[in-house]
Amino acid sequence: MADQATKAFFGDGIERHLDALYSVAIHLTRSNADAEDLVAEAVAKAWAAIDTLNDQARFRPWIFRILHNTFVSDYRKKSVRPLEASIDSNDNAEDDLANLLGEQSDDFLVWWSNPEREFFNNLLGQTLMDALDDIPDAFSTVIVLVNVEGFTYDETAEVLGIAPGTVRSRMKRGRTMLQKALWHQRPGLQEGIEHDA
Amino acid sequence: MTHDIGCLRAIETFYAYLDGELEDSDSIAEFEHHLEHCRSCYSRIDMEKMLNQRIRKSAQHDSPEELRNRVAELMKKF
Repeated sequence: MADQATKAFFGDGIERHLDALYSVAIHLTRSNADAEDLVAEAVAKAWAAIDTLNDQARFRPWIFRILHNTFVSDYRKKSVRPLEASIDSNDNAEDDLANLLGEQSDDFLVWWSNPEREFFNNLLGQTLMDALDDIPDAFSTVIVLVNVEGFTYDETAEVLGIAPGTVRSRMKRGRTMLQKALWHQRPGLQEGIEHDA
Repeated sequence: MTHDIGCLRAIETFYAYLDGELEDSDSIAEFEHHLEHCRSCYSRIDMEKMLNQRIRKSAQHDSPEELRNRVAELMKKF
């Protein structure tokens, strides 16, 4: 039975990370309603498993791991996100960025090596999220955890139950995929220009 | 004197550098030295930083009041 101090600690932790949990849940489920259900379910599961939190300083990766595990066990079947076929083989492949870039078309490489500032300046948030949604979950989730929520590679590995080297590999590959998805969206960008005041 | 690591090695280090995962000071110094001397890599890293900011801004959401209330109700039962 948890004591009052543990309850207070747990409550503070949830309060502090609720926005981040909800943001990651939206990314995973792609649905505001499902994201709310997922977070609530993860909070209930986390409290039931509070005894497994051996180090309170590790609360953040611990609660996000429960969120992710809950998504995998209860929500993934409903998800419309791209399937993760061949992810493991990609992780084991030669993953240095030079090789990854060597697999790309010359047109993309010219754009990659000479990025257009205006393109990035004018990128609509929705266009960016659509591009992120276009890449497989295993890669986009690593990008969200690292680039959006500020997890280290080690913490991200802990959340997803994978090796830190796999996080590093998925970051490189995922960011290349993201840029390729953005590159593919360039022709239609004129309709999506964001005019900053 | 810091030697230039060249674009290929710099490219390998891009994301570890941006994500704060490049821990040893020599590697950081070598990478930054290359950036100071390579317009293409400097420009690339600048765009990567901008893209990071845009991803962060677009993917962060405030939790809705309904969820906050729901979690608060849940906590009362613990």
